[in-house]
Amino acid sequence: MTKSRTLRHLRAIRTGVKHLLFSNRLTCPYPDARQMVSERYRGMIRLNMDKCTSCMLCARACPANAIKMYVMDGKKLPGLDYARCIFCGFCVDICPVKALEHTTLHDVAYLDYKENQFPPEKFAEGGKDPYYVPGGVVMVEIHDKKGLLYKKKAVEKEEKIVKEEIEHVSKEGTET
Amino acid sequence: MSALVAPWPISLILEPEVFIPLVYPGLVVLTLTLLGIIWLERKLTAKVQRRYGPLYVARKLGGAAQPMADGIKFVFSEQIIPRNTDKLVFIFGPLLLFTFSILPVIGIPLSPGYTAIASDISLLIVVALVVIAPIVLLMVAWGSNNKFSLIGGLRDGYLMISYEVPIILSILAMAALYNSLDLIEIAEAQAGTWGIFLNPLAALAFFAAMLIATGRFPFEIAEAETEIVAGWTTEYSSALYMSNMGTSYTRMYVMAHLFTLVFLGGWNPLPGFLPASGLLPGLMILVKSLAVMGLMVLLRSIYPRFRVDQGVRIGWHKLFTLSMAAIALSVLLVASGVWG
Repeated sequence: MTKSRTLRHLRAIRTGVKHLLFSNRLTCPYPDARQMVSERYRGMIRLNMDKCTSCMLCARACPANAIKMYVMDGKKLPGLDYARCIFCGFCVDICPVKALEHTTLHDVAYLDYKENQFPPEKFAEGGKDPYYVPGGVVMVEIHDKKGLLYKKKAVEKEEKIVKEEIEHVSKEGTET
Repeated sequence: MSALVAPWPISLILEPEVFIPLVYPGLVVLTLTLLGIIWLERKLTAKVQRRYGPLYVARKLGGAAQPMADGIKFVFSEQIIPRNTDKLVFIFGPLLLFTFSILPVIGIPLSPGYTAIASDISLLIVVALVVIAPIVLLMVAWGSNNKFSLIGGLRDGYLMISYEVPIILSILAMAALYNSLDLIEIAEAQAGTWGIFLNPLAALAFFAAMLIATGRFPFEIAEAETEIVAGWTTEYSSALYMSNMGTSYTRMYVMAHLFTLVFLGGWNPLPGFLPASGLLPGLMILVKSLAVMGLMVLLRSIYPRFRVDQGVRIGWHKLFTLSMAAIALSVLLVASGVWG
């Protein structure tokens, strides 16, 4: 009994030391580095105003009542309230003409409530990246086994700055 | 003024009677170490839990200025004194507690001859001063007039009776081994073999009792955040809370120094570039103490918290037995002539 307890203590300490020395981090310092997401990520939604047939199916399908129809130049177009949206993607699925699509952006923190509301023109832009990321984009990917990996995905001419930024971040954090 | 003779303020500061309480191991280095160790604790825990920890204050240093920023925040937040507390105890208790926590450093020597108290029982002085602080803690807990404070204080009282006996017994085991109660003689006796290798039982008992005494995990029972808000320091805010929080780290600092001197050879082995006397051998003590403190704070990320009855049981059943066995081992080593 006592022996097995001692062993368990040692095993616990070994696990802690193992994570301390050999594990990579799983989180990323958000505004400076971001998790790279799949192309099919259910992020913010973009509206194609030309394709939209004003069928209102998206507004009916929305379980959170986030989509409201606006009248613009005699045509009804959907607008989205990100304070309500739960990113379920039902509106994208139900749209018969594929006028709605997901983007990979998910930065929906705003200063006030008004900014959460996207009328059709703003909805058509698909949401802007609200944060300034120095040196372009430093993407991180979370690997199941290796933990946090930094990926370069940037314009060619900005590559040098991105590299510096990667060095900067990895000096703070993990060594990968 | 001659270039060779230091001006009087510097030579005054370098006197051991001033340097030890005020600079190292006293207030100045203590403050810096507290800031560093709190940062290290958060950083180590974050690394084990696979996240970042403090990052944005002093970004180049990995968030090392975070505790200082927290301290500034504490000092400038409102000091709330609840109406029904014992005001005198409430205000002066934490200060007294901090004073008693830092007081034992006066007995810690930095090298042979460089000590604030030249005494042949300096080990007893340090231990005696270390075990005063919990009484003030009970007083503070009672004076807060809050059920969580009282529960926390009583938990600390329960633990106090269970860790002090192993601490004193394991220290006495080492004193019997070195045949001295003088910290200088004890450290000098470890020039060859460190105490931790001579009597590992005593070292283990002392280390575990030290964890209980300083409220580190897995014995963070008196401040159990998930159970009793903040334990004995529940009613405190602002600078007085900071003083309370610093107290447990100060006790850790002091006891890590004691552990270094008694079990890790003090300033031995002295590297060649350091002189054998004066205050510079203290660097070795500081480095070893920091390592001990690092290990103590690392346990936060490894262990959950014991219940109070489990803590007391460990104190009496395991550590008491272990420290008695340590005394037996010491007596055996001395009697058989292997050591001493």
